[in-house]
Amino acid sequence: MKNRLRDALKTSRADYTEIRLERSWTSAVAFRGHRLEGANASLDAGGFVRCLNQGYGWGVASFTSVDRLPAMVSRAHEMSLAVRLDDPIHLAPVPVREDDVRLDLDGDVRGISLEAKKQLLQGLNDLMLGYDRRIVDTQAAYRDEVTEYWFACSNGTLLYELRPEVTLSAVATAREEGGMERALESIGLRRGWNSVQHREEEFLTAARRAVELLKAPRVRGGRYPVVLDPKLAGVFVHEAFGHLSEADFVYENPQAREMMRLGRRFGSELLTIGDDGSAAGLRGTLPYDDEGTPTQNTTLIQNGVLVGRLHSRETAARMGESATGNARALSFRHPPIVRMTNTYIASGKGTREDLLSGIELGVYACDALGGQTYLEDFSFTAGYGYMIRKGKIAEMVRDVTLAGNLFHTLDGVDGIAGDFHWNQMGGGCGKGFQVPLPVTEGAPHIRIRDVAIGGDPA
Amino acid sequence: MISELLERVHGRTSAADVVLKTDETLSLAFEAGRLKSSSYAQERGVNLRVVVDGRMGFAGSTAEDIEVLVASAFASAGVGEPVRLELPGPEPAPRVLTHYPRAAAASVSQLADLGKLVLSRLTRDGSQVSVNVERSVGSVRVANSNGADTNYDITTVSLSAELTRVQGDDVLIVSDHIAGADLPVEPDLESMVDWMLQRVEWAARAAEARSGALPVCFTPSGTAVLLAPLQLAMQGKSVLQGVSPMGDKKGKVVFDSGFTLVDDPLLDGRSGSRPFDDEAIPSRRLPLIERGRVNGFVYDLETAGRAKVPATGHARRSTFGKPQAAYSNLSIAPGALTFPELLAQIRDGLLVDELLGVGQGNVIGGAFSHPVALAYRVINGEVAGRVKDVAVAGTVYELLKRIAGIGKEVRWMGSVGVPAMVLEGVAVTGK
Repeated sequence: MKNRLRDALKTSRADYTEIRLERSWTSAVAFRGHRLEGANASLDAGGFVRCLNQGYGWGVASFTSVDRLPAMVSRAHEMSLAVRLDDPIHLAPVPVREDDVRLDLDGDVRGISLEAKKQLLQGLNDLMLGYDRRIVDTQAAYRDEVTEYWFACSNGTLLYELRPEVTLSAVATAREEGGMERALESIGLRRGWNSVQHREEEFLTAARRAVELLKAPRVRGGRYPVVLDPKLAGVFVHEAFGHLSEADFVYENPQAREMMRLGRRFGSELLTIGDDGSAAGLRGTLPYDDEGTPTQNTTLIQNGVLVGRLHSRETAARMGESATGNARALSFRHPPIVRMTNTYIASGKGTREDLLSGIELGVYACDALGGQTYLEDFSFTAGYGYMIRKGKIAEMVRDVTLAGNLFHTLDGVDGIAGDFHWNQMGGGCGKGFQVPLPVTEGAPHIRIRDVAIGGDPA
Repeated sequence: MISELLERVHGRTSAADVVLKTDETLSLAFEAGRLKSSSYAQERGVNLRVVVDGRMGFAGSTAEDIEVLVASAFASAGVGEPVRLELPGPEPAPRVLTHYPRAAAASVSQLADLGKLVLSRLTRDGSQVSVNVERSVGSVRVANSNGADTNYDITTVSLSAELTRVQGDDVLIVSDHIAGADLPVEPDLESMVDWMLQRVEWAARAAEARSGALPVCFTPSGTAVLLAPLQLAMQGKSVLQGVSPMGDKKGKVVFDSGFTLVDDPLLDGRSGSRPFDDEAIPSRRLPLIERGRVNGFVYDLETAGRAKVPATGHARRSTFGKPQAAYSNLSIAPGALTFPELLAQIRDGLLVDELLGVGQGNVIGGAFSHPVALAYRVINGEVAGRVKDVAVAGTVYELLKRIAGIGKEVRWMGSVGVPAMVLEGVAVTGK
């Protein structure tokens, strides 16, 4: 295969050419209630070629007919020549690498029968269904993937990677007297079959929480001091800050560059934020991004001051900075764009209880059903929450949505505990139709002074 | 390949069907005011379903290997659930236009001209404009062991535009898109551009929102929050699982008598149009809610069989999954009011264009609470300025019981067509 890539590169008449080829074995099992929705395995294969010429823009060809690779190289070259550009595109330099990286398959999922995968999930789904008579519906899903990946570009880099991935997810729906509540739990790992054994606790937790939420009142809307658990704090840093630190948002926009100028203060001394695509064993981790750039740990905010951002080779060259290994593509169907990998709030000091103490009335918001940003404004939905009364966790509340402005909210972070951990959840990040891209988020408990909570209008 | 696949599984299966989809897409990306990249994408995928010993299995692939595909489908059936599938036989094709030769023949420079037209009209000092133009030419073929063998060609042309303006720490993003089977005509592009510029102009002034239960006008894109729970609730599968609040309401009037929601795959030139669904069932128009009355739900063959109702022809299959019920062209029927007449219904309230976080949380339950991304205060029927740090909340099933006004112009965003609507008693929480 490597020779096919080399040969195809040789035929290219473009100034710069890059090729990716992928072959993915996937299997998926899903239950809805007592019923198996389906169990199947599939094979997906295809390629992506991107060319750049002096005085012209990007030309791209993606395809499922891999035997047409040489024709696709010339197609991408032609597509580039269809785009006249006065203002040339430059690419930041990156080291030339020839590398074979076989990640630990941790029990190769391709060797496990569909029947065994079904049995595993059925056992976990039955735990949810049997937990309580009020559990009326469940969704349980198992998905695995092993991808063979080749990358080559005209500066000499030639890579082969073998990448596993496995996810389990649980949704429990509880119903009683007209009330209906759902709870979610998921696990996503860049590993294999061994790591999804003994996951009963996650599925029981989803069922238990759905039932508990039936009794929980809607949170009363208003502004509160808020403590976020590490899961929600992770989603918060990803949604509220991470997307703004992606350089493709600022590199062509002088006003946005001013808003995100390095050296600007974004929060208190306590706050340090980064993105680490090279962290060991996480779902957002890979040795190289989809432009062949080695991944790295990039500090974005150091003690409250903006010090870095996430780049592709193109955005880095345009801004006179270095490529950070954040150009990622969902698959061969997509171009690499600037994305996060494993995004984190660095650990502080003390415990959750230290953060709670001193809060007369507040909200402890846990877990995340999702989040969305409108650049400086964001919203995220907690899976569940509790009222904080006189420094202690009190009754459970539901429908906790948090909204705010990035600058005010980061400014309002006034406590960061020392209990950091990575949240290895399923799902993924969406941007420009490329969803779900595997990412990880990590954080300790954090406290924010003043956050708008939606709910029953006060 | 299709006939070969069906022959290969014949005799070993009680039923089988195959979908083959091909697609070639050209896309042009204008970034920050200039054409930056052009892309070509080729895709070919086949999806095979078999029933073996009464159990269903399925498999899909983009690779060409028939043996692997057949083996995967049988392995899937080996662990599959028992089903009753009534595959359709050969049926006459209803007429609907899904393929426009001039869209299929459009050159890169013709497509680039569409983008440039929109770009030049939107470009203003201090703002960045991005435009994407995409044209697909594809084909769909569905065949089964019962003798059905249908195929049709499709074209899709879509154009999306986004205008971003950053002033200090204040960010405004206004976006829109149009899509259909034919090339868009200039009046359609003009009306999209005018509506974008109108929203930019209204945002030039800032306003403070009042809190309380207020009348709110939802623009066509703003209605996404109202449609989200209905899109889940009108799924036959939600009814089967007992989670649809509409499940026991069939035949009952539960909404305002002005509210009609229709799925129609037979509209010429719309991006969700098709003569057959992906299980070879002829398409037909289906009113889901008619003048406030719950009329029907969407089903594919499997869910229809389980619910013991006729299939409605709503199956959609990707290369890799199994058929799922999906809407084709979903639309809310228009009312009688022009946009100024709609706003005139509001003495003091909001105009909501985009909310943050729609689709997260307990959507099917109908309760929502979202901060606004783009919204304006309306005073005495006039837009007074953009509001920020405001959240709106309500319960969709309650709000749609009494509708103060529905616009006469249906705006199509891809395969969803909706008018603007005014609803009363929406909970608005300001700063």
